[in-house]
Amino acid sequence: MDLVTVKGLSKRYGGIVALSEATFSARAGEVHALLGENGAGKSTFIQILSGAVQHDGGSILVDGQDYRPANPDAAQARGIAAVFQELSLIPDLSVEQNIWFRHEPRTFLRTINRAEMRRMTLALLDKYKFPTLRPEQELRRLTLAERQIVEIAKGLAKDPRILILDEATSALPAREAEWLLKLTRQLAAEGRLVIFISHRMAEVRAIADRLTIFRNGSTIAVHEANAVSDNEIVTQMIGRHLDRLYPERIATATDRIALSVKGFSSGSRLSGVDFALREGEVLGVGGLQGHGQRELFQSLFGASKASGSIELWGKPVSIGNPRQALIGKDGIALVPEDRRGQGLLLTKSVRENLTLSVIRRFTENGLLSRQKEAALVKEMVDFLRIKAGTPEQLAGTLSGGNQQKVIFGKMLLTQARVLLLYDPTRGVDVGTKGEIFQLMRNLAAKGYAILFHSSDMPELVHVADRVLVMRNGGIAATLGGERISEASILRAAMLESEAA
Amino acid sequence: MSVAERPVEMAQRPAEMKSARLGIDWRGRALDRAPFLVACLMLALIVAIYGSLQSGVFSLDEINLDTAAAMTLMLAATGQTIVLVRGGIDLSIGGMISLGTVIAATRFTDDPSTVALWALVILAIGFLIGAFNGLLISLLKLQPFLVTLATWSILNGVAMIILPTDGGSVPGWWVSFGYAQLFGLTSPVWMLLALLLFWWWFRATRVGVTIQATGSNEKSAFLSGVSITRVNVITYGLSGLFAAGAALYLTTQTGAGSPTIGKDYILPSVAAAVIGGVSLFGGRGHLAGTLIGAFVLTLIGNLVFVLHVSSYWQPVASGVILLLSVLASSVAEKAARNRVQ
Repeated sequence: MDLVTVKGLSKRYGGIVALSEATFSARAGEVHALLGENGAGKSTFIQILSGAVQHDGGSILVDGQDYRPANPDAAQARGIAAVFQELSLIPDLSVEQNIWFRHEPRTFLRTINRAEMRRMTLALLDKYKFPTLRPEQELRRLTLAERQIVEIAKGLAKDPRILILDEATSALPAREAEWLLKLTRQLAAEGRLVIFISHRMAEVRAIADRLTIFRNGSTIAVHEANAVSDNEIVTQMIGRHLDRLYPERIATATDRIALSVKGFSSGSRLSGVDFALREGEVLGVGGLQGHGQRELFQSLFGASKASGSIELWGKPVSIGNPRQALIGKDGIALVPEDRRGQGLLLTKSVRENLTLSVIRRFTENGLLSRQKEAALVKEMVDFLRIKAGTPEQLAGTLSGGNQQKVIFGKMLLTQARVLLLYDPTRGVDVGTKGEIFQLMRNLAAKGYAILFHSSDMPELVHVADRVLVMRNGGIAATLGGERISEASILRAAMLESEAA
Repeated sequence: MSVAERPVEMAQRPAEMKSARLGIDWRGRALDRAPFLVACLMLALIVAIYGSLQSGVFSLDEINLDTAAAMTLMLAATGQTIVLVRGGIDLSIGGMISLGTVIAATRFTDDPSTVALWALVILAIGFLIGAFNGLLISLLKLQPFLVTLATWSILNGVAMIILPTDGGSVPGWWVSFGYAQLFGLTSPVWMLLALLLFWWWFRATRVGVTIQATGSNEKSAFLSGVSITRVNVITYGLSGLFAAGAALYLTTQTGAGSPTIGKDYILPSVAAAVIGGVSLFGGRGHLAGTLIGAFVLTLIGNLVFVLHVSSYWQPVASGVILLLSVLASSVAEKAARNRVQ
């Protein structure tokens, strides 16, 4: 019998339909992937299952019994735990306090039994062979990847029968992601149901038994994972045939150097980085996570300090802060890693987000020209195909892919022609990914110079003209043309670390 | 079925993550505690100056006296600390303190059982008013600042209606509670120790951790199953309870009621907490810091007195100290943030 059966599930937020008559069923002991573009209703679905929001219509049966959790506690009581993509962790508590939050063992004084909690933590981390975590460390000192792992531990601490993993691998480095995939299979073998959400097709392929595809809030199809091709899946997800995810790579690089970096160093994190980015080129930056890619991008944009020299379009510049980086047509613009935190003002409109950093461009005699602004905004919305009701729609209400487009628009409006893209497709649906890659190639053809980091290696292989492989804060290899492959990038990234 | 066909490979522990740092991060810990350490330093400095100008400062008598002078603020600031750690603020304690003193001054008689009854009533009113604040904040999704500003005004008005001017009285034996001694320490010193004991216990309970967690990140707390309404009711209820306690203690010092006296404790209660390293953004702070902060603010008054300057210099000095504290925390916070990057 199915462990979970969902029929006719519906949910509206005001006038927006998030789920309409969705169905779903899954058995104990399987890994069931949930696929769909951003905005397809996956998030709402798992929020309902985990008790964070309540559905308007339809029914959910767990073990054949009606299931309608009023809050996350009620969901946990029925054996359902979620590992949330946005993470449900408390920055000011320690790792172990987070794992056992509200389920801590207690002493006779009703205080938390720290010794027992430590023992339970170590037992849990050991049981599932967790990557090294220090139980007493405060969460806010952890990297995003480490936090993701704590969130997974927190989910498992409830010993759930149904575990929901929402994009749990997207923040993890390759080795930890591999660990999680194996762990997922192991959990299914223990008789649990794992509902697995990922935008990475290869992962879904590797571990899912079955998959359910959502589109526009409804269930489109359910497949045995080994009985369906990638192309069929993608077509069903986006509702049209996607010709190719990756655009054709036409070399558009000229001999003109757009950005030249020499001896770029910052503490122990960046050591003597040298490279040149040419006009019309897409230069990839790869390597294992945490080998200086983030610091390189932040320092180039002036958001953190580094020594060394930078030349933009042949002129030496010093970039002390993002404001200096942005100035003029010869500037640098960044698409940051954390788009909700750093890139967008979620409570402001699409228009305000687009024009915030370029107000000067449509000021006449010290006054704002609304017409000029509206024209620029319309141009960007059309050019990027941003799906918003009106330019006044709040950025926070857009889907992830459309938010990312707004950030691209904001960046393009600065007129900077050197673009730094830090993992621009993270958490973006496959349809929008294709659009972003095409956009990158189009911009390159127009003479933009693009530095592009992705945590998803195939993206570097298929989109970049050359790839810089970073290791220990330096450039370990520069790969070009035929030499770009996942294997060659990995080899360059790991060679020394393996030997050490 | 594919479940059975698929070989299960047990998850292996990945090699240690590059970012895992070994050993205890002493510098990080020191930075976390920097505001508290700065507060201790300030207190030591003030005591040193005070001691050099006045004889007999380093004595049990002086400790008894200063604690007695600071205890109303300490009680009020204890409630405020809980609210600040929750990420809120409670201005209504001013109204509650005034109301508590006028009820006591008009209802207390020489009969101990009447006093006990009305003392309990005052404490209950404190808790209920606070719980009401918490309920309004949660259910109507209003700003704590505005809700408690409104209840402050209401309570103030009620206090004025009960007792329009300073006056009334409490029995002499009640006043003598204020300086009763045990083992050479007066009751305020014992209360101080009790407050610390309470805090040590409270913040190790699930309720205490839940309040801190909700102040640290409300969304995450909600996703973890916390009822935000319940947290607010308990948090503001406790704040009201401590404000009522402050009112009862205050009547042992003044022997009378005052419908306006409470306002003198609102901002100092926040200031004491901030000086002691409690974050206004929630999630971080300890009562020990707040109590040190309360001592700092109280001793500034003594210092101004022995320096023979106009007493108007006291608020000036308090303000400067508050600024220095805020500066110290912000510098430490920045340093701590840069470490994580």
